[in-house]
Amino acid sequence: MRNIVIRPRRHFRVPVEAERITPDLFAPLSIEEIRSLEVWEGNRRVALSELFDISGDEGPGRAEETQISLSGDFSRVKRVGEKMTCGRISVAGDVGMHAGNGMAAGEILVDGNAGDWLGREMRGGSIKVLGDAGDYVGAGYRGESCGMRGGEILIDGNAGDYLGEHLCGGAITVLGDVGDFPGIANRGGAIVIGGDAHLPGAEMASGTITVGGRARVLPSYQYVETVEIEGLRFKKFLGDLVEEGKGELYAASVEEGRG
Amino acid sequence: MIIEGGIVYDPINGVLGEEMDLSIEDGRVVEKAGGSEVIDARGMLVMPGGVDAHAHIAGGKVNTGRIMRPEDGRRGTEPRTKLLRPSTGYTVPNCYAIGYRYARLGYTTAFEAATPILEARHTHEELEEIPIIDKGALTLFGNNWEVLECVRDGDLGKLAAFVAWGLLASRGYGVKVVNPGGGEAWGFGGNVKGIDDPVPSFDVTPREIIRYLMRANEALRLPHSVHLHTNNLGKPGNYETTLETLRAVEDIAASRNRQVLHVTHMQFSAYGGTGWRDFESKAPEIAGYFNRHDQFTMDMGQLIFGSATTMTADAPLEYGNARLLKAKWSNHDIELEESSGVVPIVYGRKNPINAIQWAIGLELALLTEDSWQMIMTTDHPNGGPFVNYPEVVALLMSRRKREEELATLHDLASKRTSLPSIEREMDWNEVAIVTRAGPARILGLPEKGHLGVGADGDVSIYEINPEKVDPSRDHEVVKAALARAKYTIKAGEVVVRDGEVVAVPQGSTYWVDASVPEADAARVRADLVEKFAKYYSIQMSNYMVQDAYVTRPRVVRAGVI
Repeated sequence: MRNIVIRPRRHFRVPVEAERITPDLFAPLSIEEIRSLEVWEGNRRVALSELFDISGDEGPGRAEETQISLSGDFSRVKRVGEKMTCGRISVAGDVGMHAGNGMAAGEILVDGNAGDWLGREMRGGSIKVLGDAGDYVGAGYRGESCGMRGGEILIDGNAGDYLGEHLCGGAITVLGDVGDFPGIANRGGAIVIGGDAHLPGAEMASGTITVGGRARVLPSYQYVETVEIEGLRFKKFLGDLVEEGKGELYAASVEEGRG
Repeated sequence: MIIEGGIVYDPINGVLGEEMDLSIEDGRVVEKAGGSEVIDARGMLVMPGGVDAHAHIAGGKVNTGRIMRPEDGRRGTEPRTKLLRPSTGYTVPNCYAIGYRYARLGYTTAFEAATPILEARHTHEELEEIPIIDKGALTLFGNNWEVLECVRDGDLGKLAAFVAWGLLASRGYGVKVVNPGGGEAWGFGGNVKGIDDPVPSFDVTPREIIRYLMRANEALRLPHSVHLHTNNLGKPGNYETTLETLRAVEDIAASRNRQVLHVTHMQFSAYGGTGWRDFESKAPEIAGYFNRHDQFTMDMGQLIFGSATTMTADAPLEYGNARLLKAKWSNHDIELEESSGVVPIVYGRKNPINAIQWAIGLELALLTEDSWQMIMTTDHPNGGPFVNYPEVVALLMSRRKREEELATLHDLASKRTSLPSIEREMDWNEVAIVTRAGPARILGLPEKGHLGVGADGDVSIYEINPEKVDPSRDHEVVKAALARAKYTIKAGEVVVRDGEVVAVPQGSTYWVDASVPEADAARVRADLVEKFAKYYSIQMSNYMVQDAYVTRPRVVRAGVI
């Protein structure tokens, strides 16, 4: 596998739009050609080499056999791996917003934390985050009726609000807690939350949400029965009834305050 | 400027594909121009600049569409250049993109199809920001309380005075009527079901509203006729309402040398069936009626597969759409004037209803024998965005293309319409009529849509040789050539070269100033003082469109005195 290593040369004060950091774009290029790819830093168009040290195996190579190793603080570097269709990106550190936008296949591994909009409109492939992720994991673009349609996102830590907004397919697993409204306006797909969740599945039309911790359940969800999944007991609800939804919500424990 | 050696189609002046030179000076076509600027158009198609008589390009509901559809905004983004401002959007482009894209198609004039007087300031603010093209806006009258009261009282003089005042207040160009009576009824959750269904609280019927507004329009000798969006639009079986409406106004005569009524986006009003299950085309009935009645005109409202944004003053229709499609939606109540709504939609080739609708638009255009009665439109962005006009022209010119398309559609498009049996293929002269000469004549713009001496120097030149290309076979060539004008010339200035915008002049805005007897005007003013005091949310002084909103006006005079 061809490995290409990218390290920030300095601290970024404004976001870098790095949608060109993908195995698909890098694979046919030599290291020198990769260095001269242009990205936007704020409102300035600059060569990749002005912002990053780029080294690694000389190309060209096949995209399937391309690994991009990001090392350092990429928390202000946005859109890493956008629309990638194969290969691998690993981040030793944090990654910025919109990582893995619309990716179709391949793999992204983040050692640290991921910013907001991780895997927005993802179609396939997998993203694994060892730390936390921000808001709108696997969500849709503003106004779009479908967010993530396929693939897999696994977050070992916590995630923010609106996890899997407008999810239409694929699977999102968060081992920790999530914020407000996970699975809002869902139309398919599966969300598994290990910890707590607040108001899951608002406006959900279909799909499943499983909350291993405590969930504050919307009053527009109808309790059905208590079921056993892998030895654990869950309360099963159907909703969101305001949307005549047929989504399934499983909660291990339900927070007080529901009418 | 001299345009040399082009193959010119100018139907109004009887020029049918003649190789000839054109001269333009000071923004107008002249016998012979001085100066040294020469455009070599040898072997190319030359026509008057395109005229769009019906598109939703500015104002409240267009902007509501933009606000509702950020996902549309990201389609069709083009970064700014040294000359151009950034473009966004596909079905609801930003103002700049509207001007640039019309110009690239070789269009130099476009009319916004529906503006409530209350929102006319907003319409003009956006029209001012649309570059290059000349513009105008049709003003909505069909559900206005003052109109309904004049109709109820049988007071034609006062109605005409109010129409004149409404055009002044909105700096509007013509009388648009949308689902007459239905928009008012919708304010109370109802609708009208036919032209004889009374409007709640006013005791008038759509038949009376249409007839009175047409009579007022003709009394004022307005350049354009009443521009009608029929009752029951978009509903299966509505062709009967459409024909009933036309029969109800057959006795009214036009006051000028033009149609007496323009029925817009007819595709949405030519439906048979008792419901969506037996939904079918009644385009042959509608076109047949038009073939026997040359006082009426229509535009296609052609459907384009893919994304569209429906937007209309027909708010109950939009509410129905939203329920049917489970789509996001907007509805507005425009106080004493109208209602309105916006709903995004995706038209699918395999959706039987959409496939039939697509065929109906083409049937109407091809079965209407006199091209002067027909305008090519997509009711932008209701049937689809105007950037698809080259696609529609290619369909009109090529039976082969229609067959290729039909093969990809739901088979009901072939079974429930007559399209497969239609052999007609429009020629370049007919295309020039339905895209330029016809709309200019129907709108009443004597300086547009032709290339005679005195006409505006608006010319489109396409890199296609009409003597060598067979549009029936090479429809892809036709579509590609029309999508990127080789040159677009606006008022004697080259604004597009090789499909790219190279100059961004500001066009002008048409509006109609109609005079009426002072006694009638005074009675209208007295009514309006009361209405603003009692009902409107704003003062009349904040309501009128002031001159500052229309910086390059082109005022057309009309009226009874």
